[in-house]
Amino acid sequence: MIAPDSPDLPTEVAPHSSAGSGTPTGTPPLKLAVVGHTNTGKTSLLRTLSRDPDFGEVQDNPGTTRHVEGVKLLVDGSAAVELFDTPGMEDGMALLDYLERLAAPGERLDGPARIQRFLDSPESLRRFEQEARVLRKLLNCDAGIYVIDTRDPVLGKHRDELAVLASCGHPLLPVLNFTNSPQHRIEEWRSAMARLGLHAVVEFDTVAPALDGEERLYDKLALLLDAHASLLAALKQNVVEQRRQRQTDARMLAADMLIDIASLRLSSPAQTDELEKTTETLRRLAREREQRAVEAILRRYNFRRADFPHHSLPLQGERWDMDLFHPQALKDMGIHVGKGMAAGAMAGATLDMFTAGISLGAATLIGATAGGLWQGADKLGRRLAGRIRGYQEITVDDAVLRLLAMRELALIATLERRGHAAQGPIDIDALIQEKADQLRKATLPDALSEARASPEWSTLNEHYQPSARRTQAVKRLAEALTDSGT
Amino acid sequence: MTYTFNDHWITETLRLRESLWGPLEDTAEAGRARAQGGDFSARLLTRSRLLAQREAVDTTLQRWQQISRLVLLFFCLLAVLAGASVAAGALGDGSRPVNLTLAVAALLGLHTLTFLSWAASFAVQPGVTGSLLTDAWLKLTRKLARGPDAALLPRALLELMTRSRLSRWGAGIVSHGLWAIGLLGALIALLALLAARRYTFQWETTVLSPDTFVMGVHALGWLPSVLGFPQPSPELIRASGSLQPLPADAQALWSAWLLGVVTVYGVLPRLVALALSIVVMRRRVARLAVDPSLPGLAELHDRLMPASEATGIDAPAERPATDIAPRPRPQTGGKPSQQALGLELPADLPWPPAALPAHAHDLGVIDTREQRHRVLEQLRREPASRLLVCCDARQTPDRGAFAFLTELASLTTEFRIALLPDDNTPARRLQWREHAMRAGLAPEQVAGEAASAFAWLTHAAEAPTLGNSST
Repeated sequence: MIAPDSPDLPTEVAPHSSAGSGTPTGTPPLKLAVVGHTNTGKTSLLRTLSRDPDFGEVQDNPGTTRHVEGVKLLVDGSAAVELFDTPGMEDGMALLDYLERLAAPGERLDGPARIQRFLDSPESLRRFEQEARVLRKLLNCDAGIYVIDTRDPVLGKHRDELAVLASCGHPLLPVLNFTNSPQHRIEEWRSAMARLGLHAVVEFDTVAPALDGEERLYDKLALLLDAHASLLAALKQNVVEQRRQRQTDARMLAADMLIDIASLRLSSPAQTDELEKTTETLRRLAREREQRAVEAILRRYNFRRADFPHHSLPLQGERWDMDLFHPQALKDMGIHVGKGMAAGAMAGATLDMFTAGISLGAATLIGATAGGLWQGADKLGRRLAGRIRGYQEITVDDAVLRLLAMRELALIATLERRGHAAQGPIDIDALIQEKADQLRKATLPDALSEARASPEWSTLNEHYQPSARRTQAVKRLAEALTDSGT
Repeated sequence: MTYTFNDHWITETLRLRESLWGPLEDTAEAGRARAQGGDFSARLLTRSRLLAQREAVDTTLQRWQQISRLVLLFFCLLAVLAGASVAAGALGDGSRPVNLTLAVAALLGLHTLTFLSWAASFAVQPGVTGSLLTDAWLKLTRKLARGPDAALLPRALLELMTRSRLSRWGAGIVSHGLWAIGLLGALIALLALLAARRYTFQWETTVLSPDTFVMGVHALGWLPSVLGFPQPSPELIRASGSLQPLPADAQALWSAWLLGVVTVYGVLPRLVALALSIVVMRRRVARLAVDPSLPGLAELHDRLMPASEATGIDAPAERPATDIAPRPRPQTGGKPSQQALGLELPADLPWPPAALPAHAHDLGVIDTREQRHRVLEQLRREPASRLLVCCDARQTPDRGAFAFLTELASLTTEFRIALLPDDNTPARRLQWREHAMRAGLAPEQVAGEAASAFAWLTHAAEAPTLGNSST
């Protein structure tokens, strides 16, 4: 028993926990080896779990990964779990034969001891060099994740390599990969695993994981690793939170873009060629703005820009009206006139200061009137003057706004369902129809109609002005997108 | 690490800059922000602080602040001058008596109006704030401070202030401060003029009764009187309405009353509002937080707070998987025999296939270790002259399978692999072929089509003495 007042206690404990990589609870990270037959998607699983599309190398080829590579999953910046990608097992049957020969007749060796003896043998550097790397890492870890390509049939070699892996004496969690493939043999694999005593099995398609796939994976791991259950619960909690945060952020990015485009307003002389030129400018600005939003959303989800093929925005509708007397515009006018009057009064009063008493009041009154008109003109005057000169104002049509909202929501939903191991291009067409049906029914959110009447909200307009109302409108619109997007 | 208001301002400036002109190259800065740790907001602030140093945004900011201070100083000077001139205007040059009503209105009228409108702005939505004085100050600073990023700084400041609900109080500090200075200037000018000149005070009216004045003067003078300023008596007030001259001490009483009114209704409210603005501003600035879901910042999340961190490899990979060296083939001995087996075939590839020649000896589907051992044992006893192994083309070829295949090949005179089924998967077939070559088999030993492989087996039955087709 250590004396409770012993000052040495912390220093004695310290070396056991690896410095700097402790979790919030101070425990060292849980180490998991990702093992399996060759070309079953082990590196893919790591890519998807680590949300890192650049981790390792992924190919539909046997023996792509030839070394053990680690990645730490971080919760609030500190490592909770360390995963190790390993080369694929390819020669499990011969290895099992070899392991049986390693024990002297009559000698009783338990699994880990036998594996250790194999690792000390010359063949671990030659024929079984790859397998030795796997087993060395698995011995060193808390548990193994056994990745299965469910398109493969259950074969003797799989059972044999599982027998080898199991003799490391650590829990194994079979993960069924490629479950979305039509050729999957999930039931076959489940019953085969049950026969081998592996009852905790989890489905996780690394290319298109289920929305709660990661949670289920960590739940199952927590079942196997009782001692690390709280750590895994924290990791799972973090996964859920991060997903929600990503969703919120992505919708804010989309909403900001929509507000920018909805409030975009270009004025043009009424000649046909001028109008066409301005319309082109409007389209270009809108397209570029959408492009920026798409790039931002992709970055938020940590997907590569190159994975999303360029979809040129089919812009057809522009509005040519001049809704000068939109209620919101009138309200704004009122506020501006008020402010202008105050300014005028100030100017008038300054005049008064020098002639005190004589003109007091009169000058202020005149100033207020003039100032009010001037300030009002500042806001609407340019537009009115434009109208008198026969200018037209061009804005983006409602239909385009709907389409933009649809595309962004479909993109977000697609990215939610995409694993970082996926190598095909991001295809939003499947979901865009679904979103289209939802959005066609919904009325345009009021934040967008407010944006229509506020050209100074658009960062694409030269008269952009930051305002708290714009920030509010973006938030409201993002919420409206949440309602229609789920 | 602690962050100041300027760090938030710089973060907002860089956010605007990056969303306008595209992201900055930030590998080193993001790396340092990650290494420094902390939550996402802290890392964002660190990143922008480092980027600002690199891009000299911080020096631009300092210069901008210097200029804005100079402009503010200039405004203060103007305020003092304006206040003094108002005082001078209200009192006049002493040649005529001072009209008390007009003097009070000139000194406090505009101030009261703007102060009340400021107070009323609390009732309006928080979105509509801002003060003309502040606007003028920012506009002038913007005009004077030119150069790259100088235009973004005030915009970022406005964005930051409106978003974190600082604008009312920031504007309050500037406008109340200027008003307080202006009114103090007026007060001092009043004192100086009253000390240096002889003034007579009176009131005039056409429609009002003298009692109204008594009431008005007492109502206005009540609060100053609480603070020790004198209150003229009703008789004195009535007497001041007439044209007869009053004694000098009555004029002194009036001037003290006027000073009290300006102090209590002019200077004091502005000072109180200024103090309130400063207190609220300080409190809000101390609680200033980055909104991490803002466009421009949200995208940086995975860059600054990566979900994972690669830890590297155990040891570099050596040469590609140890290939199995080809072994010598046994000479044809004994009677010719044609044999076929299926390797690791799944249930959807039925064995034996219909195309298998009837005379060929069927070794069955080989899957487990025991089956492999049994087949090898059997072939060792009586080697086959021709052996066809059918594999599932859809499966990934692996070293273990080819170790077995080469062992089989070494026990037969002629050896071929057929890939079933015939359809699709050209990439996978290529992989099988490559593996076969690496294992020392000839390209033609992997049949292009299953039918030709079965024909080969049939053909052998008719012409068993055909030459060895391998290598």
